[in-house]
Amino acid sequence: MRLLKLIAIVLIVAWSIGPIVLGITTSISTQREVNSIPTHWVPQSPTLGAYRALLNGSTGQVSGGTVVQGGDFVHAMTNSAVIALGAAALTLIVSTMAAYALGRLRFRLSGGVLALLIGTLVIPIFVVVIGLFQVMANSHLIDTKRGLILVFVATQSPLATWLLYTQVREMPHEPEEAALIDGCRRWQAFVRVVVPQMSSGIAAVAAIIVLSVWGEFLIPLLLTTTMNAKPVTVLITEYVGKYTTNYPIVAAAGVLALIPPAILALVLNKRITGMLAGSS
Amino acid sequence: MSGTITLESVTKQFPGGVVAVDDLNLEVEPGEFLVLVGPSGCGKTTALRMVAGLEEVTSGQIRINDRVVTRLPPRDRDIAMVFQNYALYAHMTVRNNMAFGLKMARMPRAEIRRRVDEAAAMLGLSDLLNRKPRQLSGGQRQRVAMGRAIVREPAAFLMDEPLSNLDAKLRVEMRGEIIRVQRRIAAPTLYVTHDQTEAMTMGDRVAILSDGVLQQLGTPEEVYDRPVNAFVAAFIGSPSMNLVDATLERDGDGLAVAFAGARIPLAADATSARPGLAERAGGPVKVGLRPEDFGRPGGAPIDVHVTRLESLGSELVAYLTPAGATDGPVMTARLDRGEKLEQGEPARVTVDVTRLYFFDAVTGDAV
Amino acid sequence: MRAWRNREGDRSAREAQVLGWLFVAPAVAAVVVLILYPLVTGFKQSIRSGGFLFGEKPGYVGLRNYKDVIHDPTSQSAMRHTVEYVLLAVSLEIVLGIAIAVTLHRVFRGRGFVLAVLILPWALPSVVSGVLWRRVFDPDNGMLNSVLMQLHIISHPQVWLASGRGAIFYITLVHVWGVLPLISLIFLAGLQSIPDEVYSASAVDGATPWRQFRHVTLPLLRPSIAIALTVGTLLAISIFDEIYVLNGTALNTRSILIQVYNTTFVEADFAHGTALAFLLAVVTAVFGGLYALALRRATV
Repeated sequence: MRLLKLIAIVLIVAWSIGPIVLGITTSISTQREVNSIPTHWVPQSPTLGAYRALLNGSTGQVSGGTVVQGGDFVHAMTNSAVIALGAAALTLIVSTMAAYALGRLRFRLSGGVLALLIGTLVIPIFVVVIGLFQVMANSHLIDTKRGLILVFVATQSPLATWLLYTQVREMPHEPEEAALIDGCRRWQAFVRVVVPQMSSGIAAVAAIIVLSVWGEFLIPLLLTTTMNAKPVTVLITEYVGKYTTNYPIVAAAGVLALIPPAILALVLNKRITGMLAGSS
Repeated sequence: MSGTITLESVTKQFPGGVVAVDDLNLEVEPGEFLVLVGPSGCGKTTALRMVAGLEEVTSGQIRINDRVVTRLPPRDRDIAMVFQNYALYAHMTVRNNMAFGLKMARMPRAEIRRRVDEAAAMLGLSDLLNRKPRQLSGGQRQRVAMGRAIVREPAAFLMDEPLSNLDAKLRVEMRGEIIRVQRRIAAPTLYVTHDQTEAMTMGDRVAILSDGVLQQLGTPEEVYDRPVNAFVAAFIGSPSMNLVDATLERDGDGLAVAFAGARIPLAADATSARPGLAERAGGPVKVGLRPEDFGRPGGAPIDVHVTRLESLGSELVAYLTPAGATDGPVMTARLDRGEKLEQGEPARVTVDVTRLYFFDAVTGDAV
Repeated sequence: MRAWRNREGDRSAREAQVLGWLFVAPAVAAVVVLILYPLVTGFKQSIRSGGFLFGEKPGYVGLRNYKDVIHDPTSQSAMRHTVEYVLLAVSLEIVLGIAIAVTLHRVFRGRGFVLAVLILPWALPSVVSGVLWRRVFDPDNGMLNSVLMQLHIISHPQVWLASGRGAIFYITLVHVWGVLPLISLIFLAGLQSIPDEVYSASAVDGATPWRQFRHVTLPLLRPSIAIALTVGTLLAISIFDEIYVLNGTALNTRSILIQVYNTTFVEADFAHGTALAFLLAVVTAVFGGLYALALRRATV
């Protein structure tokens, strides 16, 4: 039984990391090696040429093959970062306030608002996307980073609010009351006592939002046209189409694109799994 | 520092109809430590929270130092409160916990420092000022909660079962602490607890609540010796008073009380002091007898059956049923360790007839 | 004396009311403007005709677009593909998910590391997953072909993504790779909610590990299975990214969402595109309802 379990664990790890490792080895191979038949798994002459091409934005021959258009990749990574972090920050502000209001301040129709936000969770994003395109076009927000951030705030807030709302309800309410007695107005008690109390939940939700938004594809595909706001997910699919024979470049792009979410997932692993498992 | 807390006809009704507090009238005198006590759900915490401003008042008026505060938010009432589970600010140091209220009041920094240091010294917290709450023990956290309340130098102190979360030994220790601190601060204090021992040992006066209604307000001696109804009589005192349903019979010129085969003639002065007894002669009555009033020399003897005997070392606790009816009411008695009793055997114990309490069989009011 | 009745609206209660509304306003505004309003607009599009661009008179046409879409052969094949995706994905996810959860249930040395690694496929963008798995499926340089040829299972390289069944299978594999961590966590949470005493009791009653699994674990996992079924179905029904990056809008692998994308943004037929999208939304909502029902029944 022990042996079986060991084999299973090895398989799980291999299955989870395998494709990533494959991507890494591909990215440091030369194009010729990858395209040879039979193909080489472990690069005989590893090179960082693909990465240099992507990051330096140099135009020119790379790894013995196609010409790469430079500058765009770094721009796309920056776009992804700005959009993900911006959306996370804004969503957190919006959702923390809403979660507090729904969980602590008993006001008329709070039940209705809660139902509205949770109900939105069931709406699949694709039915919204087409109408959204027109709303964004009319507001001149197509192809802008801030437009994308606003959209993601709208799509991430319902889940974020719900997760934080459940946390607010389980937190002890006495520290907030003590703050009210100590001289705080409601909003001061919120900022100085309740929000610090929620800090672990906020961190977990922040991580989930950044991961989700970084990985978004359909919405940016439809709402961006130029490099102004194009995130790395959209750019990569263009590379797949453009550099069909240049595996190393595409693989390198993939590896670079997965580094930020991978780091985030590894660092905040416990918080994230806690929140996901708990909410199921 | 000296002032009053007044509740006048205060009522709290929750949406849905539940009346948690019904027409409560209470006044805490300057420097007084008044304990609000009663079983769970009696409305004592709700009453306290209304004084704090954490709960809306349905009708009535609350005054602190003769200033009407009924509709003011907590921050404008000049009060301080100690909570059951301390409610410390987990992300702040002990010093900042205590200084928080003063910072909100925009007190000058030097003054804040002075007050915090003074309160910390009074409570033995001076070495802990830079720690965070999670690094402290339960007793230490409770002291920080008290320190936070003291530094505000409020017009009134409120305490919501602050000792309930501590273990028994710590509780006894902290009881003394709280009284000591309160005497020094001398602000009127409203203290809520469900533990009647705390109430009796700490309170200048005690207010007993049941189902939102004030049963009796008086000093510990008053509520012990002259309970105004059966509820108060049973609530105060540990182990609880024995309450038995009995009949009042005529016994020559006087009266006797009979239950389950036992018969106890009453002393003449007891009867004359209670005119209500004569009215009820021949009818039912509720009799109360405290466990500590058994086994006194010179008392009236009754025959009992000893169902169980527990030895506490310093005394015996006996569970007795009247000899004539072994399935009758079980009475608890605290007896001297020297008493000769055997579990499962019949015995004869004395009852101090001057310490009998009488209550109306229907209303429970004292007779 | 009951002389004082307080008016409704204590000062602090009023404060709470105003603050409450103020605090939910941004969230509500974002949702209403960017989700609900576009939803309504989209729906209106779905019951309109395509207009002059398609040689039709503009105006409302009721459910005609929906009927068109249901009868359209391309859409039908997309629906068939989607059903295949869903069935395949969910079966794999549940079987593998339970297996992984059982393996990782008890604490062992290095468990933290394995859990951290387990999450990675879920954390990555699905288009990146597609890119990584390309190396496996590529006809000329792919791993699968190389390995199979070396093992002499096949004689010449297969073009996996062009064939019918194969393409669907491999795209599903990429999708499952990304979703499995979440499903495993759901089952892990479910396993951890089963008290140990139940296993001890069954062991005392003479059950073997396999028997324990079949008669103790599985039945008690029913709520988790219900959740996993629903989550897996909802995610598979809306499969898009993986297909797009691996095979574009090729007909042999089209899912309903790819079809929606193609109709709306490539063929510029907003009317039929939105109709198909709402059709899919209705089906998804039905599943959402089934979820609530199954969960209620499972937890009673």
